[in-house]
Amino acid sequence: MGKRGGGSGSGASGYGAQWGRSAAATMPGAAERGSELSEQIEAFVARLRGGGERPRSEDTARQTLSLLRKIIAHGRWSRAGELMDLIRTEGQRMTAAQPSETTVGNMVRRVLKVIREEYGRLHGRSEESDQQESLHKLLTSGGLSEDFNTPYPPLKANVIEAINELLVELEGTTENIAMQALEHIHSNEVIMTIGYSRTVEAFLKEAARKRKFQVIVAECAPFCQGHEMAVRLSKENIETTVMSDAAIFAVMSRVNKVIIGTKTILANGALIAVSGTHTLALAAKHHSTPLIVCAPMFKLSPQFPNEEDSFHKFVSPQEVLPFTEGEILAKINVHCPVFDYVPPELITLFISNIGGNAPSYIYRLMSELYHPDDYEL
Amino acid sequence: GPCEGPAPTAPPEERPFGTGGPAAGGGGAGLGRRRGAPEEPPPPLQAVLVADSFNRRFFPISKDRPRALLPMANVAMIDYTLEFLTATGVEETFVFCCWKSAEIKEHLQKSKWCRHTSPNTVRFVTSDLYRSLGDVLRDVDAKSLVRSDFILVTGDVVSNFNISKALEEHKLRRKMEKNDDIVIAMDSATSRVLHYQRTQGLKRFRFPMSLFQNSIENVEVRHDLLDCHISICSPQVAELFTDNFDYQTRDDFVRGLLVNEEVLGNQIHMHVTTEEYGAHICNLLMYEAVCSDIIRRWVYPLTPEMNFTDDKNQSYTHSKHNIYRGVDVSLGHGSVLQENVLIGQGTVIGSNCSITNSIIGQNCRIGDKVILDGAFLWDRVHIADNVEICHSVICDEAEVKEKVKLKPRCVLSSQVVVGPGITLSEGTVISLHPPDEEEDDDDQFSDDSGVNKQESKVKLKGYNKKDVGSEGRGYLWKANDKNEEDEEEQRQSLWGEEKFSVEESESDSDLSMGSEEPDSRAASPQLDDIKVFQNEVLGTLQRGEEENISCDNLVLEINSLKYAYNIGLKEMMQVLSKVILEFPLQQLDANLDSQNYFSALVPLLKNWTPLFKNYIKRASDHLNALFAIEEFFLEHESLCTSIAKVLMTFYQLEILEEDVILNWFSLRDTSDKGRQLRKNQRLQKFIQWLEEAEEESSDGDQD
Repeated sequence: MGKRGGGSGSGASGYGAQWGRSAAATMPGAAERGSELSEQIEAFVARLRGGGERPRSEDTARQTLSLLRKIIAHGRWSRAGELMDLIRTEGQRMTAAQPSETTVGNMVRRVLKVIREEYGRLHGRSEESDQQESLHKLLTSGGLSEDFNTPYPPLKANVIEAINELLVELEGTTENIAMQALEHIHSNEVIMTIGYSRTVEAFLKEAARKRKFQVIVAECAPFCQGHEMAVRLSKENIETTVMSDAAIFAVMSRVNKVIIGTKTILANGALIAVSGTHTLALAAKHHSTPLIVCAPMFKLSPQFPNEEDSFHKFVSPQEVLPFTEGEILAKINVHCPVFDYVPPELITLFISNIGGNAPSYIYRLMSELYHPDDYEL
Repeated sequence: GPCEGPAPTAPPEERPFGTGGPAAGGGGAGLGRRRGAPEEPPPPLQAVLVADSFNRRFFPISKDRPRALLPMANVAMIDYTLEFLTATGVEETFVFCCWKSAEIKEHLQKSKWCRHTSPNTVRFVTSDLYRSLGDVLRDVDAKSLVRSDFILVTGDVVSNFNISKALEEHKLRRKMEKNDDIVIAMDSATSRVLHYQRTQGLKRFRFPMSLFQNSIENVEVRHDLLDCHISICSPQVAELFTDNFDYQTRDDFVRGLLVNEEVLGNQIHMHVTTEEYGAHICNLLMYEAVCSDIIRRWVYPLTPEMNFTDDKNQSYTHSKHNIYRGVDVSLGHGSVLQENVLIGQGTVIGSNCSITNSIIGQNCRIGDKVILDGAFLWDRVHIADNVEICHSVICDEAEVKEKVKLKPRCVLSSQVVVGPGITLSEGTVISLHPPDEEEDDDDQFSDDSGVNKQESKVKLKGYNKKDVGSEGRGYLWKANDKNEEDEEEQRQSLWGEEKFSVEESESDSDLSMGSEEPDSRAASPQLDDIKVFQNEVLGTLQRGEEENISCDNLVLEINSLKYAYNIGLKEMMQVLSKVILEFPLQQLDANLDSQNYFSALVPLLKNWTPLFKNYIKRASDHLNALFAIEEFFLEHESLCTSIAKVLMTFYQLEILEEDVILNWFSLRDTSDKGRQLRKNQRLQKFIQWLEEAEEESSDGDQD
């Protein structure tokens, strides 16, 4: 139930037609808005799938939230349960389009959690009781599951209000992380980073306003985003050195701290980050250099690493070996992975917009951000 | 441009022998008058997709299934093409179908392209009468389907190009020279195609000397390019096909246009890309190569696990070594998927199989101890135990019995059964359609050759058990007919194909639009020739006037004169303007008076407007005409006062454009006399009027 009118699959179209008839009398133009909405979703999915020009996670998060807000505002639902089904169906489609963009799924889970909370509040349950499900409570309470079937007219407005707050929160994440820079970077330190991350850039720039330090950037071949990072840092008068990824281990002994960004933080505190990061983390571990990961909360994803889930993304090997090398291509396999898996034991500290945390604490943050029932969409 | 590689150094043997050229076309755009009309928003980008190849390269496979629907990595070719178009920003696509059009239509109607959320509207145009690309484009013109620049592709193009850059360049060129040319697919910076030749196994090439004698500075010869059959065309391309009913293929068109460039003023440009992937599936080996490239992710993001067709049956997981698995795939004990393997939904594979570099369709049954290396199995294929298949294509519902061995480059078309226990030698092609049936068929242009009427005949003949095995069904196709020569060509292009399109041929690499052309041609014809030519034109026009000959015929005559005396476009323009302006002088004899002159000239100009329009297309032509007019009035000072009126007439007849007139007027580097002329009061008034009118119209735009 709750599919967009004729949007996906043939099953939905008959249903949508019925709806269209009954709805036409009461709210003219609803069908139009519905199709406009599904076009927007379609365009968003297509954009994700194309995934050419490396979208910023923050932009993706914002776009996902605005799209979900539109679905809530214009979608056909009357009860919280229907709304959650609707969000879940669309969320699945959006996440399936580009599994490596975990931000999309995270935002869908945040919205589901918001709906649960708002429903709970209207249902007259205090937030506290919901949050802290103690062992005792689990034992004593009978049927825990709610049906979300009571219609509450103010629900829509409340949920939209809460999503707007989320959007405001998104705005400030990078600054919040950068504000903590002075606690971690000291004068005359040698900092190492890899590739390009906006969060790390802001973090280093903030520290450079007060302190003098040196940055070594690993170029992160074959895309070499490290070059861009170096250019941006040197514009702020930070002493910057670029070097090849192969030299990471060699220079690690001189490095005081490694500060990196990431694409995703997994539920076990591991990272999915640009390829090359694993090498960097292992080298740091070998030299007992602290490894600090700057990542906003929306990158926390309640998923665990496994073989089937394709977090990894392999793009065209063009950058590794140009196609013009025609003759050898028949004989060899060329791969161009975009991401590395970095296990949690190599990470010293996470710095997020709400402060610093150890990898072992990630599970706790996860349970605050998302409802356990939503881990699987 | 930076993207042009140092191609000519590569030894030809290793290179693909680039086939044809991407680009194409062109046409003289009529100079519409802009005045007052506010700039319209850019029209939606349109594409013409020709879902028929008009050849039989894929025989006998394409007897059962149109080429556009052949599966590549389990997705029909046409879906790749449409995805490419959509990603480029095309909003409306006309799909032209001929052979098996109903199947193509049905396929597309079920696909995501026909859902209402699709950003690309797909429209079908079906007719059994199309026999060539030329027919299709003539129909495009006849129905006026395209409103602006469009992209022309065939239904078998796989590409992840973003052609927006090429499009931008194309638009820019059009702006600079209003008449225009088509870029055949992709070309670099300003490269114009001068000569174009398919290599087709030739080891020697001839180039006309004139190519190098022209004053164009750099001529580049490239033979390392692969044509991906994507063309960006001006609307005039379709018109040109209509005008030249002998054009059948794109090659005809490109050749014709290059030969007649001087006459028509159309040009072809090409765009070379080295970054992205594009290929045109023109034969089976190309098919094989592109399939492997898809599996090896060269075409990212069009990879199988992306499921860009949004079809529930097409969801795959991607794991290491490029193994893609659909839903409900079962793999027997001890079977190994080594690398680069795609397995479609519902396929069951027995035990102890070894599969590498292969694509397996949906719902196939594969027995035990089967070895597949480079096999392309389509849907519902049955493979029994102990079969070995190497680099072969097996179509829908075919069956291979126990202990059959397929050597490289075998083809089993739909529903064929082979075996048990035989070995098919290299290059064997087996089909349910007997090979001789086509010989009765004189229609060689399209994929279809009256399959249905042959149905009865088939049953009369028995299957040759030697060819297909004791339980086999199917006829052996001679391996040495035209497939062979295709394969020869295919073999060369198998791996060398670059991901870019475009022509081999020479393209001159630097040629700035507009400016170079008058210079390059000016030197060629002798002055005497021009004089004689002028007299001839005068004579022609006089006769035209006396005998009331239509302008079309006059154009024909003048064109042939132009050829005879080898006159360039620039001289042509000057001579024409001069002759027409001088025309009234003879009638009036000595009775020279600007009033009389003007009243005699106006009806002539009105009569001959089409004549001018035929030749004045580019901004440079306008300017040349203006120079000729200026020269005339400088020579006949007594008539000076009527120059403003003459220009006004030209302008009102829409022969000359206001911005060109203004441009001409503001030219500084003129002689003293010229400056004198510009001080003419009436002329200044006229210019002032033009300027005001333009301001008004631009104000109008803002509103």
